[in-house]
Amino acid sequence: MIEVDDLTKQYGDVTAVDAITFTVRPGIVTGFLGPNGAGKSTTMRTILGLDRPTSGTATVNGRAFRAAKAPLTELGAMLEAKAVDKGRSARNHLLAVGATIGVGRRRVDEMLDMVGLADVATKNAGGFSLGMSQRLGIATALIGNPGVVMLDEPVNGLDPDGILWIRNLLQQLAAEGRTVFVSSHLMSEMELTAEHLIVIGRGRILADISMEGFIAMSSQHRVVVESPDAQRLRDLLIGPDVSITSTEPSRLEIEGITAPHVGEVAAANGVVLHQLADIAPSLEEAFMELTADSVSFHGSVSAQGSAS
Amino acid sequence: MTSLTTTSPLGSIEGRPTSLVRVLNSEWIKMRTLRSTWITLVAIVLVIIAFGLISAMVSSGRISTQGGGPPRSVGPLSLVLAGANLAVLIVAVMGAIVGAREFSTGMIRATFSAVPKRLPVLWSKLIVFTAVLLPIVAVSVVAVFFLGMRVLSGAGAASVAWSDDGVARSVLGTAFYIVGLGIIGLAIGILLRSTAASIGVVIGAVIFLPALASALLPDSWDEVLKYLPSNSATAFTGSSQTGATLLTPGTGLIVFTAWIVLAIVGAAVVLTRRDA
Repeated sequence: MIEVDDLTKQYGDVTAVDAITFTVRPGIVTGFLGPNGAGKSTTMRTILGLDRPTSGTATVNGRAFRAAKAPLTELGAMLEAKAVDKGRSARNHLLAVGATIGVGRRRVDEMLDMVGLADVATKNAGGFSLGMSQRLGIATALIGNPGVVMLDEPVNGLDPDGILWIRNLLQQLAAEGRTVFVSSHLMSEMELTAEHLIVIGRGRILADISMEGFIAMSSQHRVVVESPDAQRLRDLLIGPDVSITSTEPSRLEIEGITAPHVGEVAAANGVVLHQLADIAPSLEEAFMELTADSVSFHGSVSAQGSAS
Repeated sequence: MTSLTTTSPLGSIEGRPTSLVRVLNSEWIKMRTLRSTWITLVAIVLVIIAFGLISAMVSSGRISTQGGGPPRSVGPLSLVLAGANLAVLIVAVMGAIVGAREFSTGMIRATFSAVPKRLPVLWSKLIVFTAVLLPIVAVSVVAVFFLGMRVLSGAGAASVAWSDDGVARSVLGTAFYIVGLGIIGLAIGILLRSTAASIGVVIGAVIFLPALASALLPDSWDEVLKYLPSNSATAFTGSSQTGATLLTPGTGLIVFTAWIVLAIVGAAVVLTRRDA
C-alpha cells in the first residue's frame, strides 16, 4: 500500500507536484499516467525518499520509506534503468544491492534467470542495451521479494517479447496480492496492463478511477456509419447536440447520439446501412482529452494558449 | 495481507533487516568489483616503493644520472619517501572518485532505494575505503623505508634508523596523511557529486593551493597558512623542506584530523538533506 497525502514538491519556484492525495491499493496494477513534466517521477522519487516533500507525506505500508527495517523487502522500485555503474557486471551489481538485506549469490542468479539476463551475468552493465538495462533494473527492484512494486516506464526500450513479459509479470505480482504502481506514457500499454488509473497533469491529480470508468468518462464516444445514402442520413440525424464528420462520401462519423438511435432513424426512413459501429474511445483519446489543458510542453503547433 | 505461494515469479525469499554490517558488505562488494580499484591499489604500492627506491639509488650513486637527481640537501627520510607525494595525489583522486562515482553513474538511486536512511552508506564507504587503503599504504611506506635505508647505508650514504627521534612518527604520519587526504577527497566527492569537479578541488584547493599561497602571500600569513590541511600534515610527516612556519607534530596531527572530521561532517549533513 502506498499512501500519498497532500503532497507538494517545489524545486525553487517550480511546483512539480501540487497538494496531491491518492492511495495505491494492493492486489491490482495501478497505472500512473501523465504527460512529460506532469510530476510522475517527482511523486515516485518522493515516495522512495530520494526527494524530500516540501509539504505533505508519502508512506509505504503506513510509514515513511526511510523508516523501513529491510527497505528492499517492502518496496522494490525502478526509477530509471541506467541507475547502475557501467564498470560493474550485472551479477556484481545485484550482489551489492542484495547484500543490504543479506541475500547472496543464489538469489541473485534466481533474479538473473527471471529477467533473462543469466547469459550476460558477468558482462559489464555499461555494454547493455536499454532493454537489458531495463531488465537489470527490474531485477534490482524485485530482488527483495517486495510487497510493493513501483516502476517508472518499465516497458521503455523493451522489445515486443519483453513488453509481453513485463505485462504478465506485473499482473501476476498484483494477483499475488502485491501493490503494483507503474507509470507509463504509453497509454495503449496501460490499457492492457492496469486495472486502475491515476492521471496527473501539471502536478495535480486529474483522475483517480478504474480503467473502464476512465474510458467511459470520455465524451468522445463515436458512431461510425456506412451507407450508400449517407447524405440523406446525415440530414436526418443532424441536430444541435450532434456533430457529424465525413471523410468519404459513404461514411459518417457521428458524435452525440448512440448507435441504436442511428439504426432506428435509418430503419424508419428506409436508409440502407452497410455498417453501423459504436467506437469506444481508446485510453489514448480519453487521456488526450483529459490532459489537453495540463500539458507543460506543447508542440509548436499549439504553443499559443492552451489547446481545446 | 499477502499470501505468497512458492510459484511466485519472485520466489519465496525472506530478506533480513538492513544493518550497518550489511551495508558495509554491500560497499565492500562495490569496491572490490570495480577493476579500477585494483589498478589504483597496485599503482599506489608501485609508486611509493619504486619512487622511494629509485631516489635512494640515484642519491647514493647506485644509479648514475647525467646532472639530474635530487639535491644534496634532501635528507635520507625525504629521499625514501619520495613516492609519497605522488601517492597522495593518486589516493586523493581515488577518494574523490569513490565519493562522486555513484552520483555521476546514477547508481546512487539504487543505493538509496536499498538504504533510504543514507548515512549508513556514508559510514560504510568511509570504513571500507580506510580499511583497504590504510594497511596497504602503511605497509608500503614502512617497506620502502627499510628497503631505501638499506640502499643508502649499503652505498655509504647518510641514513636514519627507525628508532631515531621522530622517524617512526614521520613514516607512519606519511601513511596517515595519504589516507587522510583520500578520506577528505571522498567527502568532497560526495559534496560535489561530480568526479571531475571533486578531483579538481581536492588536488587544487587541498594540495596545491597551500603551497601556492605560502609562496605568494606575505610572511605574516604563515600563522594562518600553517593550519591548512597539507601544511598541518607537513608538521607530522616532517618530509617537507619548505621554510614555512609549521605547527608542532602533535598540534599538526590534531589540526589535520580536524580537517578530516570537518569534511566528513559536511558530507553527512549534505547527504541527508539533499535530494538525490
